[in-house]
Amino acid sequence: MAADPILLPGDYLDPKVLPSHPSKALKLGPGLLHIPPNSIVSTVAGRLCTDNKKNAVWVEYNSGRYIPVVDDLVIATIHHSATDFYYASISDYSSNAILPNLSFEGASRKSRPQLAPGALVYARITLANKHMDLELECVSASTGKSDGLGPLTGGMVFSVSLAMARRLMLPKPGEQGQLVLLEELGAAGASFEIAVGRNGRVWVDSKSVKSTLAIGNMIQRTDQEGWMVEKQRIMAKRMAKEIS
Amino acid sequence: MPRELGPSLNERQFFLQALKEEVRIDSRGFGDFRAIQLDFGDEYGVSDVRIGKTRVLTNITAEVTTPFPDRPFDGPFTITTSLSAMASPSFSGPPSETEVLLARLLEKTLRRSGALDTESLCLIAGRAVFSIRADVHVLSHDGNLTDAACLGVVAALRHFRRGDSEVKGEDVKVFTMAEREGVALSLLHYPLCVTFSFYEGEVVLVDATLSEEQMREGSCTIGMNKHGEVCQIAKLGGAPVDAVILLSCSNLALRHVERMSKVMEERLLEDAKRRYKGGIKAEPSSENARVP
Amino acid sequence: MAISAEPTVVLSHLHHTDGSATFSQDGYTVIGAVNGPIEVSRRDELPEEAVVEVTVRPAAGVGGTRERHLESILQATLRQVIFIHNFPRRLIQITLQVTSTPDNDSVGSKIVQASVNLPILPSLLQTSVLTLLSASIPLAMTLTSILLAVTPDGILRSPTIKEIQGANSVHVLAFSSHGELLVAESDGIFTMDVWDDVHTVARRICCVETSANDSMQEDGLEEKAGGIMTFVKSVLQEKVNQDLNWKK
Repeated sequence: MAADPILLPGDYLDPKVLPSHPSKALKLGPGLLHIPPNSIVSTVAGRLCTDNKKNAVWVEYNSGRYIPVVDDLVIATIHHSATDFYYASISDYSSNAILPNLSFEGASRKSRPQLAPGALVYARITLANKHMDLELECVSASTGKSDGLGPLTGGMVFSVSLAMARRLMLPKPGEQGQLVLLEELGAAGASFEIAVGRNGRVWVDSKSVKSTLAIGNMIQRTDQEGWMVEKQRIMAKRMAKEIS
Repeated sequence: MPRELGPSLNERQFFLQALKEEVRIDSRGFGDFRAIQLDFGDEYGVSDVRIGKTRVLTNITAEVTTPFPDRPFDGPFTITTSLSAMASPSFSGPPSETEVLLARLLEKTLRRSGALDTESLCLIAGRAVFSIRADVHVLSHDGNLTDAACLGVVAALRHFRRGDSEVKGEDVKVFTMAEREGVALSLLHYPLCVTFSFYEGEVVLVDATLSEEQMREGSCTIGMNKHGEVCQIAKLGGAPVDAVILLSCSNLALRHVERMSKVMEERLLEDAKRRYKGGIKAEPSSENARVP
Repeated sequence: MAISAEPTVVLSHLHHTDGSATFSQDGYTVIGAVNGPIEVSRRDELPEEAVVEVTVRPAAGVGGTRERHLESILQATLRQVIFIHNFPRRLIQITLQVTSTPDNDSVGSKIVQASVNLPILPSLLQTSVLTLLSASIPLAMTLTSILLAVTPDGILRSPTIKEIQGANSVHVLAFSSHGELLVAESDGIFTMDVWDDVHTVARRICCVETSANDSMQEDGLEEKAGGIMTFVKSVLQEKVNQDLNWKK
């Protein structure tokens, strides 16, 4: 822990803690600001993290409101539709994002998904510029495939903290994020579908209302009560027994 | 013009399906309240009510004013409710419907039922009366503001102590708490509210959360005291509800009012114990109150 | 009622807001909440930067001129602290609810209105910054603030209401985490030399950290409370550790 110091906004980074990679350029992640010529300053309260392989440095923190970043996957709610676009909301009170009608798999002028206000979509952010409206897509522009994106039907949405959403989406949640809940649930025989939005929303669907609720609540409690690996294992096993 | 989106279609469908299977999203029973927590501030007349994630802070203040000419014996009692951006960004700007309804319901339940004996606030008829003011601050809004605010105001009124007063001829002197012990307000009864939410014609939920409130078809607030005397019933629009259901609601309301009254009673007693320093005020000491 | 000089903080305890904090110090308790960056009405939006809206709400009654004055000071200060250029055409909405103020048993129930503006300002400033930190809104710096009263006996830290009434002048100063002066509000009659002294004392209390300083030991009062910066740091350290307990 001593290697990962806590930073406050306005703290200058000591050049000694920066990773030094011979060839790659230094990458600054969230929470850091480069003030030319050569100072790096933190803008949030969090813990400094470095990755020597990627030559990256960033601040890990939990924040209140989701601030969109390109290529993030989010769960958006359709607000209303216009001739060419859907207007979708990714968090309450934020301005709407634009989702073109044709950015769905196999969509054409004649056949495209009809989404009513209030419908949910799993989408990727394609444009996040502070001066522009946010833009989304539900199809990969290069392959034309949906890659799991698109309208979400049925199921239930649960809100979690932004840090929890990031943990759920880590490539190896068990090792990198101390999160084994989903794996344990799967191993114990619970079957369910899940989609995680970086905007702090988790969509869960399973065969019954009770099991969907149980899984959703368990994810929320892991987040709020800070369950560690052991507790997650125990609870997952207990729940799998109850719902199967 | 910040706006809240409200529950998505998926959430609505899921919620209704769950109701059919007699399950609530937070796995409570249909007729159950969330956990109620009642705290009092360091000062008299400050109550802090938490029902689940809903949190309401009430502050009672008193000052000496001249009464209204048509009611020379009555001390004015006003309740102000303020929903700020703290509860939700959509509450900034002019008073919203939620805010107006909350104020009206409190007014109906507390003022019109004569909970506070306003005549006891009179010092000199037509000249000087205590005016009592209740400020209700909603800190966090997760549904069921009415019940929380009503409990908060009643608890704060019972907790409040006004300065003792002395009338000499035409002069009124109000003592500070340091000079003389404060005087509790005279309350005639303690009305509380219980709000019911209706879905699909026959499902009745007690103490709805914010998302449950956003999805309900109608609601009804019953104000009553622990003796089962109904002070008001407010059913403001919404889907029609069978009379029999309303009757069973009022029976259920009594159970909850009794329980809430008990919580209030216990907490007031605990607070009084905490404040009682073995009659220290009656026993003046020449020593300075120093920390040893 | 005994007033503890030790400040206390609860962070991120309100739901449905992006960040929140309750801060108590010297008998003042303020609850703060922030939402942002959110959508702003067309009428108010600024094309190049975020709108910072501050609302101060008194414990009893509705806000008046006094609150508007405090809001204007807070708003101007927080615009320096927040990276407003990061969020053009957005709103950062801060609500500060005062819940308790020190009661003055000795002077009667009515607080004297004239000099009552300033004493609450440090608590409001501190609460708003903690609230912003709780929401992790990008900030250029943190800030610490202090109330000082110049009395015939010398400069008093965190004076009581009685001491303020007997004081020649009261001053509120706030410093950024880099040690720059951010706010200087004064009330009363004083000379420039006195102000310089006040500045030195305030700077020492706000910016210097307790660990590396011996000069604090001279004064009993200051020794106990220590640098406010140290306090802010320890509060946030706790929050970050709690938030990131999953991160090895």
